[in-house]
Amino acid sequence: MEVSSLPISASLRAKLISGGYTSISSLFSVSHSDVARDLKISENQALEILRVASRRRGSERSNGTSSIVNGAQSAWEMLNEEKLLGRITTSCSELDDILGGGISCKEVTEIGGVPGIGKTQLGIQLAVNVQIPMDYGGLQGKAVYIDTEGSFMVERALQIAEACLEDMREYHGFLKRDLQACQVNMQPKDFLENIFYFRVCSYTEQIAVVNYLEKFISEHKDVKVVIIDSITFHFRQDFDDMALRTRLLGGMALKLMKLAKKFTLAVILLNQVTTKYTEGQYQLTLALGDSWSHACTNRVILYWNGNERYAYIDKSPSVRSAAAAYSVTGRGIRSSVSNCKRVKMM
Amino acid sequence: MKPEDLLQRLSPTHTQKCTVGCLVLDRLLGGGIPCNSITELVAESGCGKTQISLQLLLSAQLPTSLGGLSGSSIYLYSESPFPVRRLHQLSSSFPTLHNPLGKILTHPLHSAHHLFDVLSQLDSLLSSRLDSPSQIKLIVIDSIAALFRFEFENNPRDLKQRSGLFFRISSKLKEQARRFGLAVVVINQVVDVMNDTDGLRIGNSTCWYTSERKVCAALGLSWANCVNTRLFLSRQEERVAREVNGDDCFSTQTRRFIRVAFAPHLPDSYCEFVISREKIFGLER
Repeated sequence: MEVSSLPISASLRAKLISGGYTSISSLFSVSHSDVARDLKISENQALEILRVASRRRGSERSNGTSSIVNGAQSAWEMLNEEKLLGRITTSCSELDDILGGGISCKEVTEIGGVPGIGKTQLGIQLAVNVQIPMDYGGLQGKAVYIDTEGSFMVERALQIAEACLEDMREYHGFLKRDLQACQVNMQPKDFLENIFYFRVCSYTEQIAVVNYLEKFISEHKDVKVVIIDSITFHFRQDFDDMALRTRLLGGMALKLMKLAKKFTLAVILLNQVTTKYTEGQYQLTLALGDSWSHACTNRVILYWNGNERYAYIDKSPSVRSAAAAYSVTGRGIRSSVSNCKRVKMM
Repeated sequence: MKPEDLLQRLSPTHTQKCTVGCLVLDRLLGGGIPCNSITELVAESGCGKTQISLQLLLSAQLPTSLGGLSGSSIYLYSESPFPVRRLHQLSSSFPTLHNPLGKILTHPLHSAHHLFDVLSQLDSLLSSRLDSPSQIKLIVIDSIAALFRFEFENNPRDLKQRSGLFFRISSKLKEQARRFGLAVVVINQVVDVMNDTDGLRIGNSTCWYTSERKVCAALGLSWANCVNTRLFLSRQEERVAREVNGDDCFSTQTRRFIRVAFAPHLPDSYCEFVISREKIFGLER
């Protein structure tokens, strides 16, 4: 529901909309002091807005339960809200399927794999796909891309954006009758403009950017994905104090999780793999150690199976473990070629 | 703190690549060796790693209108002596350059720790020459593998120290690449792959063939995480039949190939190249 339907003064309404609070639901998870600061209004006015908004929500609700504490939600509400949340497609339908429809917002997802498996490719793909307009089933959001390794190549992002636009045009061709009004009038360059790119060269810079994100995103509320490529790189130089490393990483993970919740956005952390010596043999595992493995809500491992790339869901509270093939093409992440063949044969 | 404007980087003056000095090789690499990141050349000895990097030292001096970086370069080498005669020979293919050898700084390396110290000392040199006619735009390290292969034992403690140093060196190089818009090329060697089963696949192939040996890049998985682009060079001896005075006569010929192992901006592709007296160039397929 839009804020324009709230019984408040027109000037406050305009301030709300220009501050990025366009829907009533966007007012549910914020505190009155946040609203006061964002809109430059008094705390009392902000309280009044939130009171009106929550009353409106109360009348909307069928069962009429109200939350015990401000900000608390019942599981039923959470389920309904989750259904409404968009997901970011990976452009590989098999991978979307095992993820339950794509990368979910409000959660932190860690993706790891060997060099050359396609982590950065997937990162760029998601930074592009988050911008797909709502008419095409996308989130119409923006992306923050934090590059710690220097692998983000603008020319590649442009290629992927061009392919994404082509796909949208094709899709538009199919639906021409229903979607007369919406033409694809985006340009590949528009995609680049909507990726906020930060290049960080040390772990202190990385922590600083993560700390700054909350302020940045509250000024850019349409950011729907934050990608860190990779979370690992600067933390693998010899840290003499491993306890410090664990604390720094843990603190960063908490901040990112809070960010995901507060702004309903997806956080993607790309990770490297390392060999771990257990029971007399070396095994591949994601880097940063055991305590880090608890930090993310979802964990996806990318690996080679023969000549094919696979993604495996290693940890997720909502979907079961499963693997799916994908491929990296000139157009970006796509379904694996052999999968298509299999479909054709059936 | 402000995000960077990606559109600006899209303009040709900002996505800088350094030409390799040959159109065919440049096409394979999407324009040349990219600035702001680390490119690794992996090969057994005699494939042409050093040859390609010597040519790069020269082509980096070309003006940007010709695909170069119009800058000087630094060549850090661990395997003496520095091949200065060969460099001089190759420079004859770049007649437009004025005193090209004067714009190549060289420095020997003794150990991995020494490399890190040298890199740290380079900061002041790099920043003092920034935006001047003698700006430095390319660093070549030949070879990283030689520095690491003998200094560390194969036990967990040494391996951990070794990988820590990998990341420190890589981080320093990437920071300089980014701050000063440098192209960074590191040269790596290969190790033989003994059995098929535990070969860890990194990049576009599980293992690589060169001179009928099955090999993979030296320094293992941690180092592979430290480079942005990895290019693999290989060689292959072939017996070719030739007709001499009506008789079939066999001679061996060496063919050399360069293939993308992994890169954020390049597909899996390869091309054949030739090392001649005057220059190194790719062959049209």
